[in-house]
Amino acid sequence: MNFQVYNRELAVGDIKIIGVSSSSVCIVGDVQTIQLASTFDTPAESLIIGPFVPLFPKG
Amino acid sequence: MLQRTSVVDHLRLNIASFSSTIEFGDISYYQAFSRALAVQREKKIFFGGEGSFDQYPIFSEPIPIPPITENINIMYHQVKPIIKVKNLDITAVSASSLLQVGSTRNIYAETRVKHIRQIENHSEELTNQTFIPLEEIHSSAGTAIINGR
Repeated sequence: MNFQVYNRELAVGDIKIIGVSSSSVCIVGDVQTIQLASTFDTPAESLIIGPFVPLFPKG
Repeated sequence: MLQRTSVVDHLRLNIASFSSTIEFGDISYYQAFSRALAVQREKKIFFGGEGSFDQYPIFSEPIPIPPITENINIMYHQVKPIIKVKNLDITAVSASSLLQVGSTRNIYAETRVKHIRQIENHSEELTNQTFIPLEEIHSSAGTAIINGR
């Protein structure tokens, strides 16, 4: 595939963002390839009811 | 590509954390990796050096990512070789994130987060409540960790 890009004027006035988080991107410009991955885990077993015990110590 | 000048007049940024990057100008390759064990306890008790990433599969499970196979022939014509930004107002950039004014060839970012909550055992309150506790739904062995019950 042939792809022609003419970069004429790129002028941004104001950008207001609260957060860019967990493998996200905010780009003013060009990118050829983007690969973003994010995993997030809060399963049932992550709720521990009982006395405060430390997590398994560092190995 | 990668031949434009980036001009930023004003940037206000509060926080950049956990493997995040702020970049003015061009990059050829960007790679970031961040992992976190987020422990919340009902009381503020924290033990130093606790927790291990290898204990939880979320930190080692493979993330399927579509491979870049397509061969694209790109021609860039820089008619006006400048990127102008007047004002950027950002509160936070976090966890393998990228804020860039400029161009990049390849970006790869990965974040893995595991949340754990520890709550005290309020047995009397639990018996009087109307909603079903989590451990009754997930009663199969090894799923729920309930101590002191």
